[in-house]
Amino acid sequence: MIKLYDFELSANCYKQRLLLSMLEVPYESIPVDFFPGWEHKSDAFKKINPLGHIPVIDDAGYVLRDAHAILVYLAAKYDATGQWYPTGDAELLGETAQWLLFAEGTTNTASAARLHDSLDYPFDIQACRTGAHRLFRVLDEHLWFRESEELDWVCSAGHPTIADLALFPDVALAGEGGITCQQYPALRRWMDRVKRIPGFTLMPGIFPAGPARQ
Amino acid sequence: MASDSIQTVVTTWYPIAAGTDLPYRHTYHGQLLGRELAVWRADDDYVNVWENRCLHRGVRLSIGINDGAELRCQYHGWRYANRTAGCTYIPAHPADAPARAICNRTYPAVERYGLVFSTLDGPTEPPVVDAFDEREPFPLRGVEVCAPAELVREALRTHEFQPNDRIEGNGAHTTVVVADGEALVVTSVDGDSATSAAFFVQPVDAMACVIRGVLDTEPAPAQRSSVLRHHNALLCRLRDDVEVLAGRLPAPEPIEDVFEDAPTSPSITDVAMPRRAPTLRVQVARKWSVGQDIAGFELEPLGAQLPTFQPGAHIDVHLPNGLVRQYSLINAPGELQTYTIGVKREPNSRGGSECLHDTVREGDVLAISEPRNNFPLRRDAVRTLLIAGGIGVTPLLSMARVLHHGQLPYELHVFAQSSDHVAFGEVMAGLEGSVITHLGLTPEETIVEIGDVLGPHAEANHAYICGPGPMLDAGRRVAADAGWPDEAVHFEYFANTTTIDHTSSFEVALARSAMTLPVAAGETILDVLRANGVDVPSSCEQGACGTCAVAVLEGRPDHQDVYLNESERRAGTRMMTCVSRANSARLVLDI
Repeated sequence: MIKLYDFELSANCYKQRLLLSMLEVPYESIPVDFFPGWEHKSDAFKKINPLGHIPVIDDAGYVLRDAHAILVYLAAKYDATGQWYPTGDAELLGETAQWLLFAEGTTNTASAARLHDSLDYPFDIQACRTGAHRLFRVLDEHLWFRESEELDWVCSAGHPTIADLALFPDVALAGEGGITCQQYPALRRWMDRVKRIPGFTLMPGIFPAGPARQ
Repeated sequence: MASDSIQTVVTTWYPIAAGTDLPYRHTYHGQLLGRELAVWRADDDYVNVWENRCLHRGVRLSIGINDGAELRCQYHGWRYANRTAGCTYIPAHPADAPARAICNRTYPAVERYGLVFSTLDGPTEPPVVDAFDEREPFPLRGVEVCAPAELVREALRTHEFQPNDRIEGNGAHTTVVVADGEALVVTSVDGDSATSAAFFVQPVDAMACVIRGVLDTEPAPAQRSSVLRHHNALLCRLRDDVEVLAGRLPAPEPIEDVFEDAPTSPSITDVAMPRRAPTLRVQVARKWSVGQDIAGFELEPLGAQLPTFQPGAHIDVHLPNGLVRQYSLINAPGELQTYTIGVKREPNSRGGSECLHDTVREGDVLAISEPRNNFPLRRDAVRTLLIAGGIGVTPLLSMARVLHHGQLPYELHVFAQSSDHVAFGEVMAGLEGSVITHLGLTPEETIVEIGDVLGPHAEANHAYICGPGPMLDAGRRVAADAGWPDEAVHFEYFANTTTIDHTSSFEVALARSAMTLPVAAGETILDVLRANGVDVPSSCEQGACGTCAVAVLEGRPDHQDVYLNESERRAGTRMMTCVSRANSARLVLDI
């Protein structure tokens, strides 16, 4: 079974839990005492990931680190539909990669602000928040125009991709870093849609959406 | 278009969202002049604009769940009704009806030009743009600007864009047509093409606003996307310029939002209900046959918004012949445009059902009371059985509709003489297979069938039974024999058919009012209280509905009602003042 080196409150670990649940792939969560124990910086854990980051997966001896790389691997290996990481469609694959890189930006700003506010990380909080708002403005505008073309997801497909899952936790938890999504209405509507994907799971700080209208 | 015909009316209304910001089952987070708003569209298309806090713990309702009929707070699950914002359910008090006083603050909403307008302080009308007369305006993407609204309004005066038909060109000349209203109206002309636009600036707070633009015509489908992107790019550039400018100026004073006290009550459920007062005027909008000898009445308010109801609630109907009768609402959750009741013609009518059937017609005006709920529905049961005899189906229909809407497990069992005698078949059809009818059974067969339907009691199973007295009496016995505890079986009687014994005399002491009053044979406690100026709510005044219940502090009540169950009677801590009396010389009541 896949082992996920996991921390309940980590946005990047949540991305993996979401995809595994949506793909209905069983996995074993190995809790890492990220806070307050700093276990991910221990010598023992650095043997698994020299960078001292989570998440890491171990799939029958195949070890992979970095949240967005793990999403690529899991989707490519376990999604029989080929939709979550659309390797069969060059344009869609390009978009997916583009938004995965964009999600590195939201992780380094919005999620960093959350680590600062809730776990005392020594980041420049003003820079984190300003950076997050700059990216959220771009994403909100992008999703607004997607909606105007009757498209629901970050990439121009009729189904979600791992790009949606890479972005969702950073956006949905941004409030814990003092970044409100009030002025991004298209982002808030997209979050409702992500919450309605079959297999969606919660974590502390994430509220469920009600069912869509039948 | 003659420019002198273009005007806007000055008002205190502002757009707070675009219509497309409010898809079904979404809750929008709005803000106007510093006040945060929870905005949601119900399934009946009514746009609710509410103060953004739950009355319980102040949590933002904008993170709540819009279920199409009610908004549910994420914190402790309090539910608020579409249109009224009245609380309909408190999960921590599942067996009680929330007090009427628990009602959130609402603001008006008008959808116009693809935008949603609201106001914090005025009953006036939202802005009218004369340039949009007889046209189908086309809203643009709203653009939030981190700058004071005044700076943005100023910048919009020199804002330029291309008309719809020349979107790729660059020769347009834009002129301001109206600049003194809530909307800035400008016209762009390029050759023989012209497009007018109205720009509204929504003040979010002192340092933020949203530009909401609307074009006078919808572009051709092929141009739609390029027109939207053209305007969005120009407005974003304007935003960036104004934000730089605002950064150089001293920040304005923040808007101090003054929150009035939330209209909460001293207690969640224990609020005195109004006495038997015809407080609402309604018009019969529709009267139709909903079953053999059963008439449906749809009652429309005259002017005012109808008050919140919960499933199981009834209203008093004051009839033209002076009689007052109680009828249960069959309404679905959040359905507050009209109240609907069902009335069976009673063969031995004392004038109530006869009057409604024979005299009251569509268009007539009736007086009714506000809804009261002495038959509240729990929404935490793992299995809910609704058992109806004949016209007793009415309160259970409202319950079934709430459970159905909330996707909670339930069965509605309807006992009737024949399928013609089943009321509101069209409503039952909407319940999609959760209705089981039991037709043409004898009284003996009915009792056996009720026993089969109930089965043995299990944890968190609840049954609600409404029908004729003999059926309810039998239902009580069957449920008790099958091991159902009193608190899991809920009854509503149409009438109290027991013969009331008025012969005792005793005295009542009113603990809170510091009065001791004698009650003579032939008088009721309720009569004596009223004669001495003590206001007590009541409704049926025959010991069936439960409205006049009071707490008993001392003494032994002589229960003659059919509202209390056996364990409540034995406990002797509550009594119905309309029919019940005393077995002791003195009663002390908590009034």
